[in-house]
Parts: sequence; structure tokens; C-alpha cells
Amino acid sequence: MMNYAIVPHWFAGYNAALEMLFFAIALLVGAYSLKVYQLSGQRQHKLFGISFLMISAAYFIQSVLNFASSYSMAGGCNLQTMPLMHALNIVGIYAHMLLFTVGLVTLAYMALRVKDLKAYFLFAAVAIGAILVSLNKLYFFYVLSSILLIYISFFYLRNYLQSRKSNALTVFIGFLFLLFAKIHFIFSIDHSAYYVAGHLLEFVAYALILINLISVIRRK
Amino acid sequence: MSKKRDRLQIIYDILRVIKEKNGKIKPTNILYKSNLSNQMFQEYMNELMQKGFILERRAKISKTYSLTQKGFDYLNKYQMIVDFTNSFGLNELVI
Repeated sequence: MMNYAIVPHWFAGYNAALEMLFFAIALLVGAYSLKVYQLSGQRQHKLFGISFLMISAAYFIQSVLNFASSYSMAGGCNLQTMPLMHALNIVGIYAHMLLFTVGLVTLAYMALRVKDLKAYFLFAAVAIGAILVSLNKLYFFYVLSSILLIYISFFYLRNYLQSRKSNALTVFIGFLFLLFAKIHFIFSIDHSAYYVAGHLLEFVAYALILINLISVIRRK
Repeated sequence: MSKKRDRLQIIYDILRVIKEKNGKIKPTNILYKSNLSNQMFQEYMNELMQKGFILERRAKISKTYSLTQKGFDYLNKYQMIVDFTNSFGLNELVI
């Protein structure tokens, strides 16, 4: 069974545009981290880069899906193409959930500082398996994302408390907003207002992450 | 050098020492100037060679080290790497 989030009619199109923005920011952060990895050769940079690239791919798929949904809602889809649209929608939602989950698992694995690939694959398999066998996959995906983001936010809180630098604080608040956004998405299955709020919170989260990246790039 | 150094700082210190006497420095000099134990020094040097930051040249009785382009790039962009690493919590544990 797959329950969908309720998207307010007026927000259709805006959601896809915001998701395209999240895709671009996550792609930028991921690509920059891999560029730093080429210079430093440090595993943490590689894992962070890969996780953000996966998250960016998840947003890209979600954005394309929502653009297609807006198009069909506007009457651009007839009865013959409707089943195809529905099938594409299902495939897209699964791809989004799996990519986003593996992205967060990679980020959590990086934060755990464990150097064992077997542990990583086990961690990813458990997360993906749990989503696939759950009765309400989208709901479970948001709950699982929230749990992973709680751990990741704690990791960034610790990172800030150790360094006491404003950049580290910006990143911590960014991930905290991402956590709040995912918690809002849990309730978006029943209430459309939460869906909008979730997107706005995500916007603040990625804006903060982007501000941090720009400040790092400008300082070099 | 500060008392507590993270991994990036240790790599920076080793590379900077090699840069100062590029192509002519012997391992004992690097060990002395990088302020590391012998075991840690060996581990870092092996890693730096493996990752292509430094080159080892063997002569008849001794060996010397020099920086590769990747090593020079690391030194030039060190501050950016540190800022990115610290803000996103990407520090690796020191061996």
C-alpha cells in the first residue's frame, strides 16, 4: 500500500520548483565534497559527497514527478496516458525513497566513523528492506528519515560544540530544519498544510547549507 | 606546531616540511620536523605515497622525498579543505 501526501492545488508547481532548487544545492555540495576529496584523499569527504549526490538524485526524480503531476492536473494528460503516468509515478516515488534513504544512511555511516563496508551494506539493506515490507511505505520512509536525521543532527550539534565556529552552527541548524521538515512530511499524508510547511522548512535547511558552502568557497 | 593536531594538520605539516627542501629531504629530517612517533610517521608516509601526494626516490644508501602536483595542490588549498571539513564535520580520527 502506498499513501500519497496531499498536495494543495495552489502549491502544485511550486513544490516541483523548490525540489529542483534542493536538487541543485545538494548536487553542488556533493560535487564540491568530491572535489575536496580529490585534494585530501580523505574517506569522510568521499562519503559525504556520495551521500549528497544520492540525495540530489532523489530530489531530481521527485521534482520531475511533481512537474508531471502538475501538468496532468492542468489537463495535459488524457485517459489513455493516465495509466502510464500512474505507473511512472509509482516507480518515481520508489526511486526517490530509496535514493534518499541510502543518501541518509551514507551520511549516518560517515557520522558513525565506522570503517567497515559490511556494516554499511547491512545498515542500507535493513533500511531499504524495512521500507519495502512496510504497509505504508511513504509514511515509514518519512519516519525512518526522521530517525536518521535525529542522529545526524546530534552529530552536527557535537561538531559545533567541539569547534564553536559559526559555520558549524549554520550546518547544525540546517540539518535541524531538515529534520523538522521530515517530521512535517509524516503528517502531510493527512494534512496538506504540513506538506507546504515541510517544503518551506526544507528550503531554509538547504539555504543554510548553501550559505555555509558559499562562505567556505569565498574564503579560500 | 600546536600540541593537538588533527589529521589534516599533520598531513599539512609533513608536506610543508618536504616542500621547504623539495627533493632533498631525508626521512629522518621529516620525522624530526613533523614531530611524530616513528610508527605514526611510517603510517602517514605510506598513506601519502599511496595517495600520490609524495614521491620517494631511492639512492644507493639513502632515500629522499619530493612533492607531487597533488601535494602542492593540497598545500595551496589547505585552508579551504580545513574550512569545508570543519564546518561539515568531516574530520577523520587521528591514527
